[in-house]
Amino acid sequence: MATFFNTYGFLIVSMLLAALLALSLYLPLMAGQLSLASPGFYALGGYIAAVLSTRVFVTQPGGLFPVPLVLLEMLIGGLASGVLAIIVGVPALRLRGIYLALATIAFIEIVQVLALNLEITGGAVGIFGIPQPFKTQIEYIWIAAPLLLIVALFVYRLERTRVGRAFIAIREDELAADAMGVNPTTNKVLAFTMGAIVAGTVGALGAHFLNTWNARQGTFDASIGYLAFVLIGGSWTFLGPVLGGMALTALPEVLRSMSDNGALPSWLGEFMKDGRFIIYGFLLVLGTVFLPQGFVSPALFERRSKRKEGKEVPPASPAQRGQGLGVS
Amino acid sequence: MDLTSFVQSLLNGLSIGSVYAIFALGYTLVFSILGIINFAHAAVFTLGAYFTYALVGGAVGFNGLLANKALPFGLPFALALILGSVLAGLVAVIIEVLAFRPLRAKRADPLLTLVSSLGVAILITNLIQYLVGAEPYSFPSNTYEGLPPAINFGTPNSPIPIRSAQVVIFGVSVVILVILTFIINYTQFGKALRAVAEDATTASLLGINTDFYILLAFFLSGFLGGVAGTLVGSSVTIAGPYFGISFGLKGLAVIVLGGLGSIPGAVAGGLVIGLAESFLPAELSSYRDAVAFAVLFIVLLIRPRGLLGRTQIQKV
Repeated sequence: MATFFNTYGFLIVSMLLAALLALSLYLPLMAGQLSLASPGFYALGGYIAAVLSTRVFVTQPGGLFPVPLVLLEMLIGGLASGVLAIIVGVPALRLRGIYLALATIAFIEIVQVLALNLEITGGAVGIFGIPQPFKTQIEYIWIAAPLLLIVALFVYRLERTRVGRAFIAIREDELAADAMGVNPTTNKVLAFTMGAIVAGTVGALGAHFLNTWNARQGTFDASIGYLAFVLIGGSWTFLGPVLGGMALTALPEVLRSMSDNGALPSWLGEFMKDGRFIIYGFLLVLGTVFLPQGFVSPALFERRSKRKEGKEVPPASPAQRGQGLGVS
Repeated sequence: MDLTSFVQSLLNGLSIGSVYAIFALGYTLVFSILGIINFAHAAVFTLGAYFTYALVGGAVGFNGLLANKALPFGLPFALALILGSVLAGLVAVIIEVLAFRPLRAKRADPLLTLVSSLGVAILITNLIQYLVGAEPYSFPSNTYEGLPPAINFGTPNSPIPIRSAQVVIFGVSVVILVILTFIINYTQFGKALRAVAEDATTASLLGINTDFYILLAFFLSGFLGGVAGTLVGSSVTIAGPYFGISFGLKGLAVIVLGGLGSIPGAVAGGLVIGLAESFLPAELSSYRDAVAFAVLFIVLLIRPRGLLGRTQIQKV
């Protein structure tokens, strides 16, 4: 067991962080807003933690970095991201659908260029040697797992409160929600800000976990990865992003170890190892074509509950399933 | 700013702006018909550059499955440009059939189509890396046969040298733009294409084979992407499999600035961003990549329909 955790410690914590980042993208999506801004806030949170822990909270070398300070950095990273989200979100969220997605792409690109050029972020090299609060990487699970639990529980409860229902009303029909007295702008900014706080908090933890932090953390590619987590997992309930983030993070490693163990023919194993992102892209296309609501979909739940009653129901028709996210 | 550097900046801006324009037109053609942004366009751009590189006889490097291989012949650049771009167009057609048509048949959310096109982009980019490695490729130095490295646009006494690559880019782009404008505005093909863009259902009721024209739009879009990729790759270098992605994001800034779905808008947007980048003061040059996105962000906030776009009316 100990060797298992030593070998896969990095992967396990990465899976938890991926689930959290998928949730940060799911929150605005709950209110029908396709925002790709999460990596920008993730990068910001990471830079805050990296700068604070290497320049401000200087501890004696050799010793472990105090855990409470990591938690404090996560708090600061989350709050700073939330404030930035309100500043960016109030004007940007007047936009809908694809325009908002483009505005958030512009946002992450600007953040990246700033990170590459400012002195405090270490330019292209970034910040390295970020102090470690733990001896092994698996121990980060003591922060990552409770954080995921809290955020997932929060989102689960949110889906059943007044605010969460307002988000869903906006997702289903913004004009109708507005007419019924739900203020779209306030709620959209709220959803966007919640997502940013989660991303910023995770970024602060991620900076310690990865030991170095540079401009490659907040790229467009990263946001597409998170979007894949949410959409392949399913954007219908919080379980989709959590499972999607974990599964898609583990997949390349599983493929790699399968080919190393000889469970696959060697030529196939070679391809699985070197070409795993080819498979990843292929899965994205297949997933959107054949499972448009992701793996955790309403149809799955429906069939489950019907089957309990002893009735066999045919799978939902493409027209029923095809509506997808309700974002247009 | 003295005259020489002004003229140089102007011509540089025009040449890079005209590539942005033909690249962005590829997005626009598909967007005006299907109402979706085809992220795979950036990957087709990259692919076009590699196709042309292979066709002029360039060899693959040491990495990847096709290491050290090269075609047994080398075509002249002009021919390779056309052939490579046609191949890129055919790839775009395959993308339409495999990744877009099944979703359209299901009347899926436009957002899902966007994700599907992103999947194609990841697939192609990594396939390139798998086959030919991640290293940059430079076209042979004598690519533009017979042209000197730079052409003097001033007098012999006060020279204003402009790199030949820039002149070739500008020339080819203008020719392509003129031909495309002619096709779309003055031919039967173009009329049918515009009819499908206006209202696909009505067009099909009037006897226009919409599926064929959608394929045609994808072919033209891929062809334009291939030309743009080849021009950028041959004037600077093919900076690896990912070089289309960052260019592709700037292309998005161009079409939003011009107005989504507007053809004159894409040209205007390309020129504005190209000129804005080349007139940026030298001390700010490291921020050059942010210019397009800053422009994009501001345009979205002030005038979301872009410079020449139509206002969208929200219907209940």
